[in-house]
Amino acid sequence: MEQQTQNIKHFIELSGALTDFNEFALNGTGQVAAYYQTLVDIVGQQLVDNLLSTYCSVYEISINEQMFLDGLRKQILGDLKLGPVARNIIKLWYTGTWYQLPNTWRQAYGKSDNDITFFVSSASYMEGLLWHAIDANPSGAKGPGYGSWSQPPNINFDNAWQFKANYQ
Amino acid sequence: MTHSTRTIKQITPDQAIEKSANGEYHAVIIGSGISGAIAAKQLTAKGLNVLVLEAAPAKDLTYSGFKQYLSNYYSNASKDNNAPYPENPNAPMPRSTTISKLIPGQTDAKGYMVQNGPLALDSTYTRVTGGTTMHWEAKILRMLPEDFSIKSTYGVGLDWPISYDDLMPYYRMAEREIGVSANVEEQGFYGIKYEQDYVYPMYGLPPSYLDQVVAKGIDGAEFELSGETLTVKVRPFPQGRNGIPNPNYNDGNGFKPVGAVSAHQVEQGGRCQGNNNCVPICPVQAKYDARKTLVDAAQTGRMDFLPQAVASKVVVNPADNSIEHIQFKHYKTTQSPEYTEGKVSGKLFILATNAIENARLMLASGLPSSSGLVGKNLMDHTYLLTWGLLPEAAGTMRGTKCTSGIADFRHGKSRSKQAAFGVDIHNDGWGWATGSPFSDIEYLVDGQNKFGRDLRQGVINRVSNQLLFAFMVEQVADESNRVTVDPQYKDALGNMRPIVNYNVSDYSKAGIAFSSQASKVFYQRLGAEDHSNYSPLDYGYFNYQGEDYYFRGGNHFSGTHIMGTSAENSVVNENQQSWDHANLYLIGSGSMPTIGTSNTTLTLAALVFKTTEDIINKLSHYRIDLGNESNTNTAKEACHE
Repeated sequence: MEQQTQNIKHFIELSGALTDFNEFALNGTGQVAAYYQTLVDIVGQQLVDNLLSTYCSVYEISINEQMFLDGLRKQILGDLKLGPVARNIIKLWYTGTWYQLPNTWRQAYGKSDNDITFFVSSASYMEGLLWHAIDANPSGAKGPGYGSWSQPPNINFDNAWQFKANYQ
Repeated sequence: MTHSTRTIKQITPDQAIEKSANGEYHAVIIGSGISGAIAAKQLTAKGLNVLVLEAAPAKDLTYSGFKQYLSNYYSNASKDNNAPYPENPNAPMPRSTTISKLIPGQTDAKGYMVQNGPLALDSTYTRVTGGTTMHWEAKILRMLPEDFSIKSTYGVGLDWPISYDDLMPYYRMAEREIGVSANVEEQGFYGIKYEQDYVYPMYGLPPSYLDQVVAKGIDGAEFELSGETLTVKVRPFPQGRNGIPNPNYNDGNGFKPVGAVSAHQVEQGGRCQGNNNCVPICPVQAKYDARKTLVDAAQTGRMDFLPQAVASKVVVNPADNSIEHIQFKHYKTTQSPEYTEGKVSGKLFILATNAIENARLMLASGLPSSSGLVGKNLMDHTYLLTWGLLPEAAGTMRGTKCTSGIADFRHGKSRSKQAAFGVDIHNDGWGWATGSPFSDIEYLVDGQNKFGRDLRQGVINRVSNQLLFAFMVEQVADESNRVTVDPQYKDALGNMRPIVNYNVSDYSKAGIAFSSQASKVFYQRLGAEDHSNYSPLDYGYFNYQGEDYYFRGGNHFSGTHIMGTSAENSVVNENQQSWDHANLYLIGSGSMPTIGTSNTTLTLAALVFKTTEDIINKLSHYRIDLGNESNTNTAKEACHE
């Protein structure tokens, strides 16, 4: 249980850096637990542990944001095994959809029966971060109110992710 | 009106059969979409008894049933325009997801609608209670007066047997029934006229911010065409969805918007909230759908409603060529093809399925009409989509699907050479063309290798800056575009499926080509990047005069039982009454000889009001208490509101 809590904490940190939404915004979707579980169910605990420990080691050696982002790109996004999974995490957060992993990945690292393209839930569709990014409601839900569309969008980065050096 | 009883009681097949045998029905109506629903409401309001057969189940008449549609939509990985509506092999419907590029000379029977080509048509309709108004966009335009006489004015297509002036009072009735939001002072252009002091039920919806950005760039653009100068002006569309009621409506009595359909009190749908999801389903029911009208008909106590009953044959009495009865197949569950058969009858019969299904049913019954025109002259609007990125965030993906467009290419002398077209500015961005915004996320993450801030900014630039123009190009009547049937293609109940032969003429292609030119001018004036491209691999691809294009179907099926002046040149008369069978009416857009550049629903709804007036006049000899306690106006009365 202890390990699970720690994993979810790291999952949120990694998700924040990948999506540019801070912890409050991610928690505010109510989807953290569902997405973490989806990930574990499809790629397995071992790979998730591998991904999160890679994230932790990148974080620990980074003394500034540039070094951290560079590490994420080379060690995770640029990794044959972890890259497609990390990109799936980004797409999951932005759209609420789990996308089936690329065939080459499935051949090399195992095919899960659960690995199909699907919305995690009806709620996950509505909680896609892409709508927040552009100050729009998810098509078909959370109607913003009559006439709101005639004003310019209020696009801002108030809830953006921020790098915190690990010595803080 | 209380909402507590706003639902519909259903009857059993046995009851319908028995009451038919006892001669209790004045009219049997096939289909509960907008045509059938208006017919039922108008006839029952005048004291007539009707039976409505609906091929689909009627679960959506409860609030929880409607919510199930929404839930289906949210979780369906495909967001096509029938995504909320469940598969039903007993009354199947076409879906755009089954369309692929046709191989010349080969029939494609993957989808419900069999495609004979040469071009694949991805248009759909929805076979559920309430019909295609469940998924329609509810942009609701009148036709131009010149559209009714296109043959005599421009030498193309077919003339209507009636004029705009003849239909004008019925347009008014249809706009009241649907509850249209528009400002009359913004809509009277290119000959469109209204009764003096006309007021729409509700004020027009405000244009989107995107509309305003586009208008700033393209208003005033001039095009020389056939010796005329057309000047572009972005204008708001009339909408079939609830806005702010206009207090001046009905001589200052105002208008009460009709919200959600439900068996219990639900305070929802009184006003559009900008869910940006009119197609395929308005989550709050602020958009009009035919269930609202159907419920009104049910309130009279004179409508019997039989769902899960698929009309399978129209049977003629050989003695006088009248319709004797209609056979139907009733199924218990969509999970099984088991059915029981029965026949229903009334003094008259009204086929209100839609342009494809009306023709399909007539042809499956062996009734091509003496003119042989049933199923022929199939028309739709052909859409050319163009898409680009504006230099600024325009707030795309907000508001109703489409609030404004361009009407300046809908009229004029060029119609003798090339198809006229209307233009829609899509508030949902590139969705229709590319699957945005999800496809944009895939592109940015998997293709552009973006993450973090770079990705978030990329999403803004890629999505909020989107602009899509949909050029809705006219198609004129052509007998070789047609619906047929063949016993080798049947559905689960053994009913023959529609087979479609479809092509786009050079006349329409010329209109599409000019649309493309206009689009290039618009993007240039807006300083926008033009991302439009038309691959030869696309199912709607064609080459015209050396340039690549594609088209998308407009879901505006029409023309399959055109009205005209005689049994030789048409299937029905101006009241949509069959020339061959005096007690049969074929209603809906199938009756339209020309569709101009207006989405078809308002015009077909107006036609139903005209038709029901005719029916009421004809049936009045059968009735004694006709026309008393009625709250339904005739066209003449409506002029005084």
